[in-house]
Amino acid sequence: MTTEARLDRIRGAVPPRNHNARTIAALTSNPGCARRAIMDAAGVDKQRLAACAGFPAPFGQSQFAITRGNAFEAQVKANGCAELLRLLREGLGLPIPEVSYDDLEEVAGNTSRELRHARTRSLLARAAASGADAGTLFDHPLLRLAVAGQQVYLEPDLIAFQLHGQFHVVEMKSFAVIDGQADGDKVAAAATQSAVYVLALRELLAGEGYGPDSVSHEAVLVCPENFSNAPVATLVDVRKQLTVLRRQLSRLERIDSLAELLPPGLTFDLMIDEAGVAFRPAAELTEAIRTVPARYVPECLASCEMCYFCRDEARGTTAALGRDVRDDLGAVETVSAVLGLADGTLTPADEQAEAAAMLQAAARLRRETPGGAA
Amino acid sequence: MEAIERRIEKLRAEVRRATASGDRVRARAMRAELREAEHVWDEALAALEEKSATASSAPVSRSGPLLPIREQVHQALTVLGTPAAQRLIIAVHDAFFGSPLAAARLTSLRRDEERSFRAAPYSRPYYLCAALTADLLAPARGLLAVSTWPMERRVIGPLSPRVNYLEAAIRVAESLLRAPEPGPAAQRLLRRFAVNIPGAGDGAKPRDPQRVAAAARAELEVHSGEDRAVRSEAAARARIQLHDAEQLFGSRIRVIPRTGTGA
Repeated sequence: MTTEARLDRIRGAVPPRNHNARTIAALTSNPGCARRAIMDAAGVDKQRLAACAGFPAPFGQSQFAITRGNAFEAQVKANGCAELLRLLREGLGLPIPEVSYDDLEEVAGNTSRELRHARTRSLLARAAASGADAGTLFDHPLLRLAVAGQQVYLEPDLIAFQLHGQFHVVEMKSFAVIDGQADGDKVAAAATQSAVYVLALRELLAGEGYGPDSVSHEAVLVCPENFSNAPVATLVDVRKQLTVLRRQLSRLERIDSLAELLPPGLTFDLMIDEAGVAFRPAAELTEAIRTVPARYVPECLASCEMCYFCRDEARGTTAALGRDVRDDLGAVETVSAVLGLADGTLTPADEQAEAAAMLQAAARLRRETPGGAA
Repeated sequence: MEAIERRIEKLRAEVRRATASGDRVRARAMRAELREAEHVWDEALAALEEKSATASSAPVSRSGPLLPIREQVHQALTVLGTPAAQRLIIAVHDAFFGSPLAAARLTSLRRDEERSFRAAPYSRPYYLCAALTADLLAPARGLLAVSTWPMERRVIGPLSPRVNYLEAAIRVAESLLRAPEPGPAAQRLLRRFAVNIPGAGDGAKPRDPQRVAAAARAELEVHSGEDRAVRSEAAARARIQLHDAEQLFGSRIRVIPRTGTGA
């Protein structure tokens, strides 16, 4: 069975969910998790899956945030990107004659991904070739990136060209920049996502024979300023994120080898009927999911919809308590073993001797402190 | 008006004092002044009434929700003179014709107009149609145009979004100069244009329509030559290769690529 067919079977009878830069960024932050790698490669709806298995995800993007983001993007891009042109001209020196705008969201009413990607490639190649006057703003281009041996389609908000002869990725986010500063985590996330697009764009242009310098390592981040909806643009250097991304993408095991280890009949199909109700029994689904090993870390709670499921599975193991604990107590797998070693009821194996000594010392300190062990 | 009222109060007190003290001459003088002050107050009140009356009746006297939606869109597009997106049409209508349009009613407008045209071609004096992209002659996303405009005005090249924006700014500025008393919505619209056009003035004071128009014309000169060339070439192609309905609403299924020697 080919990998493609196998992944299709795992996913079940539903269309695959698209990757986007956010999911790729999250994927590269936990490369050792086979469960996530398989699910993302197959395009499984993890949110639905988690809910069916009895562990609904605690987050998703709020509808309010999505609407606000769309409204901000629409405002900045209105009228041939009038506001964006102003930002690029005033802040980043875009010359006045460069205002050309191409819409790549659909090709003559057709939104097929292959068609859009082909058109994106031809327009960007033409812009790179003729330099001066062949395109400034490309709206909703469709790029492609090889992730874990598969081609993934990606859609940045915009690409601006001819800012000093280089392509720049433009990302619009609706978190505010107040007095010149924005939420550090959100900016970091935006930087990582932009790095994914820069990588994809470089890959596309490399295919047309252009070096990586044709794409700038500075992305343009457009956010609302202070407490209004007026946009402000900043250049964000994403070189660090690019290095990390490249390294982690290369480490991601090729999906073929992962998929081969799985039982051939495995499927996460939720058996959804016409009314949209899922009929797969939770216990059966849980068993199926558990055949694919996961690697739960507390960071999963912020980035993966399966987090509660995997946390429940990992309950009682030291690995679930975070990297620091795992580093200190590597050889001791379960919390009960830790407690046993600490109070001496458990005899340590050879590799656990050091950890056991440390735990016993800690337990003694705890007993001796004023106020005593709670 | 408060000043007049205070003066009236004071004068009344004077009259009472003068009468009480028996000073008839003074009382008569004060009474005359009182009558004059009251007369001034009456006039001020009448002016106030008139102003509030015009303010409340103004929107009603203009084309309110009595006109069908397609007529209102047509009015707004005629002011703009170029294909425009939903938001701009609504803003222009709000600025110059009073009541704002409901956005939800515009979304299906193009589809309804196309159906009406295909059912009975040319039976209406005008149709609200699409603007066509220059390279594929497909309907440009989100734009509305008027069918009576020449084909050149209804095609969109790569520079056309900016060119149309500048032309719309000029038309809005000129309409503001012509209008007897432009309301705050019109000023806001002009301001939103001015912010995004270099040289159209800055600061928080109300924008000068002349200056905005001049700045828009200056930038327009940079782009208009090339834009016009692209558009006339596309228009010629559309007239040859598309039939009537497609010339208005765009060709979707057949993708007609540029066959010339475009760069």
